[in-house]
This record gives sequence, structure tokens and C-alpha cells, in this order.
Amino acid sequence: MEHLTHDTLARLVDERPNPDEREHIRACRRCAAELRAFRLQSDALEGLPALRPPSGDWASLEARLVSEGLVRTPETFRRFGFAAAPAWMQAAAAIVVFLGGTGFGLALTKGATSGGPSPEDMLLPMSQITSTEEAVRMVELAERAYMQTLARYRQFRGRSDGARVTDPLSLLTALEGLLAASQEAVRVAPADPVFNGFLINVLAERQEVLRQISTGRDDDWF
Amino acid sequence: MNEAQLLRKACQGDGPAVRALYEKYSPRVYAVVRRIAADDDLAQDYAQEAWIRAIRALPTFRGEARFSTWLHRIAVNSALQAVRTAETRHKREVPMPETLAVAPPARDALLSKKLEWALDRLPARMRKVLILHDVEGYTHDEIGELLGTTTGTSKSQLFKARGKMRVLLTDLDSSESPGSADAGKELEAWNI
Repeated sequence: MEHLTHDTLARLVDERPNPDEREHIRACRRCAAELRAFRLQSDALEGLPALRPPSGDWASLEARLVSEGLVRTPETFRRFGFAAAPAWMQAAAAIVVFLGGTGFGLALTKGATSGGPSPEDMLLPMSQITSTEEAVRMVELAERAYMQTLARYRQFRGRSDGARVTDPLSLLTALEGLLAASQEAVRVAPADPVFNGFLINVLAERQEVLRQISTGRDDDWF
Repeated sequence: MNEAQLLRKACQGDGPAVRALYEKYSPRVYAVVRRIAADDDLAQDYAQEAWIRAIRALPTFRGEARFSTWLHRIAVNSALQAVRTAETRHKREVPMPETLAVAPPARDALLSKKLEWALDRLPARMRKVLILHDVEGYTHDEIGELLGTTTGTSKSQLFKARGKMRVLLTDLDSSESPGSADAGKELEAWNI
């Protein structure tokens, strides 16, 4: 008796046998056993477990994802002073509040910019920030705007010839605007180190101006 | 956080969300890629490529299929393409795979290892068809589409692959030490 070939047995795992094949399997114990073995083999293949990737796989994948700009890690956000990625929207809101809420800061910044758009001109309203990339860009612009504001503030305090502005009350009035905006920014993002830094700086500067008013001294702590 | 929220965050480049997806699906992605590649080192490269493609393509995922199905398809395509485009392929003796299964039942562990060992020794084309059909459950039409062949060719390759697997496993069992009690039990379990 000629036994069924492996090709035929393999086919019969999925397909119905023709009458001759059926008859043969009924009569031949060896082919019946082989067919059972083939079916068992396919069942075992179907039940193969998932495989754990090698250790370190995520670390190298993450490095590639970051290098291709596909993910932003907490480190990316720490660089900009944020605790973690999920806070970006809150942080972006705080930036807009901060720069949008301070007429003084904006006026100083505009004054410092010669030609081309100033950072705050490029800031998007909160409702238009739709991606992490935009939020991070807003942080960078906010930082630039803050530094420009600071530079203008210094310019405002001291003339180019080194002489001091002698009207501390004007300075105090200007600082009140910055203080209100900083407080609002910290209220929106209370754990954010950048905005807390802004607030501390403004409070310290305000304190210094108050001290100047009371003592007449004129130190530049910046 | 549910999967839809995770996907939205991952789409925005949120690292922890991508990590969560990876933790959940990497064993399945790695398994199919490893079996197609038949090599641990290549599998890691192919799996990473699959993840890069998937994360890059996330904004195009519309949720018509389950995410796992969508991701699995990307992994299969990615691995098949990588294998296809490899200029040379090392033909070498493949040891028992080092890759660890995700918590296989203890009594099936050796059987799984034997199957993985035999899969690694199949000719590439047969292996791909066998994995896609018997392990992953693709139809012959789908396999034909993926591999650029006909349904008939897919069936023919599958039957040959099953036959070759049967021979490899029988030879493996025959070559095992008859003095080993454990080996004897496994042999008995396999040779029904």
C-alpha cells in the first residue's frame, strides 16, 4: 500500500480529504497517526507564545525615536524647565498668560527689537497650540522674550553712559505689571520651575527697588 | 488611561505613552519579526524598524482596525521587506534560540523551543508562509498579497513547510539522548 505523501497530509490539516484519501486514512494506521501529528504540529505553532525582546531594546529604540524627533522624553522637557511632557499644555498656557498679561514686558521687548518679528509676535494664542513641537517652540520664544525684556529693563534702569534712572517709582510701577503676570503664570503652572524663577526674580527686583526708595541706594543685582 | 488616550498622546510624541504601547505590544511584535528573521540580532533591528515606522505612521491610524492588528501588519511588512532587501544572508547553523518566551507554560516550554528551532531551519520562503499562516493566522489571499505571490503558491509553500517541519522535529526527537528521562517524556509527548 502506498502511503500518503507529506504534501497531502499537510494539505489535509486544513482541507477535507477526497474519498480515496479518506478511505486510505481509515485503513492505514500509520498515515492516520501522521495526519494527527501534522495537526498537532499546526496547533502547536498556533499556540506559540509571544517573545520578550532582549533587555535594553527599549533604551536603544527610545534613542532612535528621540533622534528622529518622534518622541519627546521627560529630559527634553526638563531642558526647558518643565517636569514632564503631560504638563506642556499647562506650561504653554502659562507662557501665553505671562507674556500676554504684561504690557510692560511687551513694551520693553518691542523696544529692544530692531527689525524682524520679536519673540512675542511669534507666540501663538493658547487655542492655536496643538502639538508638543509648538509648545516647546513657545517655551523657547518665551525664554527669548524674557531675556530681551530683562535686557530692556536693565537699559531702562541704567543709561548707556552708566548713569542711573533716578525715578524708582517708575521702576516700581513697571515691576508691578511684571509681578502680576508672573504670579498669574505660577498660578496656572504652580510646579513649573521657569515661572517660579521669573516670579522670584521679579519679587527680588521689586524688593530691591523698594529698598532703593527707602534708602536711596542704587545697586544693580541683575 | 485607555488605549485611545495613549494613542493620542503617543501621536503627540509623548515618551511615556509610546513606552506604554511598547510595553504592551513589543512581545507580539518581536515574536513575529523574530520568527520571520530567524536570527536574534536581525530580529532586534527589524523590530525597532517596525516600531519606528509605526510611531511615524501613528497620525495615519484612524482606528478602523484594532491598533494591535494595525501594528502587527506593520511589523510583518517591515520584517518581510527587511528580509527581502538584505543583500546577503548568513547561512549558518542556528543554535537553540536565546530568545525568552513570555511566560510559556512549563510543560510547553521545550516544545516551543523545538518549534522555534525547526522554524529557524526552514528555507526562508517556506518559513515566512508557515509563520504567517499557522502562527499568525493570515489567509492565503493575504499571504499572496504580502509576499507578491499567488494563493496557489502560498498553499504549496505551506504544505512543503509543514512537511519539512515534521521531518526536522522527528529527526530532532530521534537524536535526543534516550537516557534522559525528561527527553523521553518530551519525545513521548511529541510522537503521538
